[in-house]
Amino acid sequence: MISEQKYWNPILETLPREKIRKLQLEKFKRIFSWAYEHSRFHRALYEKAGVKPEDIRSLEDVRRLPTVEKSMMRGIQRKDPFPYGDALCVPLDEVSEFRQTSGTTGQPVYQPDTWQDWEWWAECWSYILWAQGYRPRDRVFLPFGYNVFVAFWAGHYAAEKIGAEVVPGGVLDTQARILKIQELRCTAMMATPTYVLGMAETARSRMGIDPRSLSIRKITCAGEPGANIPATKKRMEDAWGAKVYDHAGATEIGAWGFECEAQPGGLHVNEPFFLVEIQDMKTGEYIEEPGRRGKMIITAFDRIAQPCVRFDSKDVIEWAPNPCPCGRTSPLIKGGVVGRADDITKVKGVLLAPSAIEEVVRGIEGLGDEFEVIVDKQGDVDRITLKVEILSGREGDRKAIETQLKDQLRLKTNLGYLLEFHPYGELPRYDVKAKRFKDLRPKY
Amino acid sequence: MDLGDIRSRIETLKKIAEELRSMSDELPALQRNTIRILAGIKMLELNFSEPADL
Repeated sequence: MISEQKYWNPILETLPREKIRKLQLEKFKRIFSWAYEHSRFHRALYEKAGVKPEDIRSLEDVRRLPTVEKSMMRGIQRKDPFPYGDALCVPLDEVSEFRQTSGTTGQPVYQPDTWQDWEWWAECWSYILWAQGYRPRDRVFLPFGYNVFVAFWAGHYAAEKIGAEVVPGGVLDTQARILKIQELRCTAMMATPTYVLGMAETARSRMGIDPRSLSIRKITCAGEPGANIPATKKRMEDAWGAKVYDHAGATEIGAWGFECEAQPGGLHVNEPFFLVEIQDMKTGEYIEEPGRRGKMIITAFDRIAQPCVRFDSKDVIEWAPNPCPCGRTSPLIKGGVVGRADDITKVKGVLLAPSAIEEVVRGIEGLGDEFEVIVDKQGDVDRITLKVEILSGREGDRKAIETQLKDQLRLKTNLGYLLEFHPYGELPRYDVKAKRFKDLRPKY
Repeated sequence: MDLGDIRSRIETLKKIAEELRSMSDELPALQRNTIRILAGIKMLELNFSEPADL
């Protein structure tokens, strides 16, 4: 029976590594040639670097191609062929989908896709969902806005593709979504970690519904860190009585990474579809071995409308040392995406990744899910303030919680913080993606 | 499982779909549906034809 099959495609998912690498080289050559021949932007980039498609004979040669930054994409759009400009590789009438990036790092970048690209999105997500245990018997609820951000659109189409039933929860508010899940006995859901926790809080505090009593047993998270942070994953799993799985992808890249049912503490790279390189952020050296973090440079082999070739994602990752017990031969990224190169900042001379603070706060019982970090200056000296919420009924444990918080923050981030304790419910709540880290220091 | 056999059948499917597409200049329903079919065939190629060549 099809539902009993472990892999969406065992041929690619258990391909021996030497064959994966051979496939990757052939596919890289193909997408490089495609971009070189069809994209004015890429052609100019590669001519300036003096690299031509025939120069690529090995995966090491790939590094001769310059990387592409998001900021470069902004400058070449909003002109003919409108609105995509210089990186469009197909006639405009072959573009069937418009999406754009969220704009959190600057002006949004437009992303065109052909119908084939859209099928490719659904195909990549099918690998993800099947690996996370989604099957035709599932009824999948999608509580997202169905708008210009790619979000879970491809998750929707992949759920259909694998034979599951999709319940689109677009326009409904949070309470109506919870009632719909309850009414239809939906078994799975996809959302950002912020929304997963927010829905649980709404169900409990405003509706008197224990989310664990609902039928959701699998949740796929994407869009922001959270499902890869053990303390946050545990909070989500405990809140819903469900398994929570991480996924990594981006509008400009595609759905490149996923956690499987084995929950190995990392993400599989879907290597037959993506080439992931890790570059040391200080030296520029390429990292092949586990245990060293760097930023991800990534290529999507099969996306044709606006190719993603050696895109500098700014995601910080490292290879895991061991293969996954699930049997997939694609390597694991340890801990998932652990931060962004442009989020990691120095405070009092110490490198700080905001995800480290999240891991501490959400690992302490007695503290609420929400927190806020503010970095500013007191005279010439950096100051970092952490605001947290004490859960109702735990106010008496405040001293013990404070001691534990200080100790864990010192251990995990090597910094001392000004701590502010707030009553439960006082800190801002976010709808979909959270902005909890605020750096108010002047930028020179 | 004979990957070579799967590959050759995908090739046959693609050839037929491309032939239909070439006949579709005055038939929007034929054209648009065969474009979608070809996109699906591309996914079959990525999944099965390409590893068959390794």
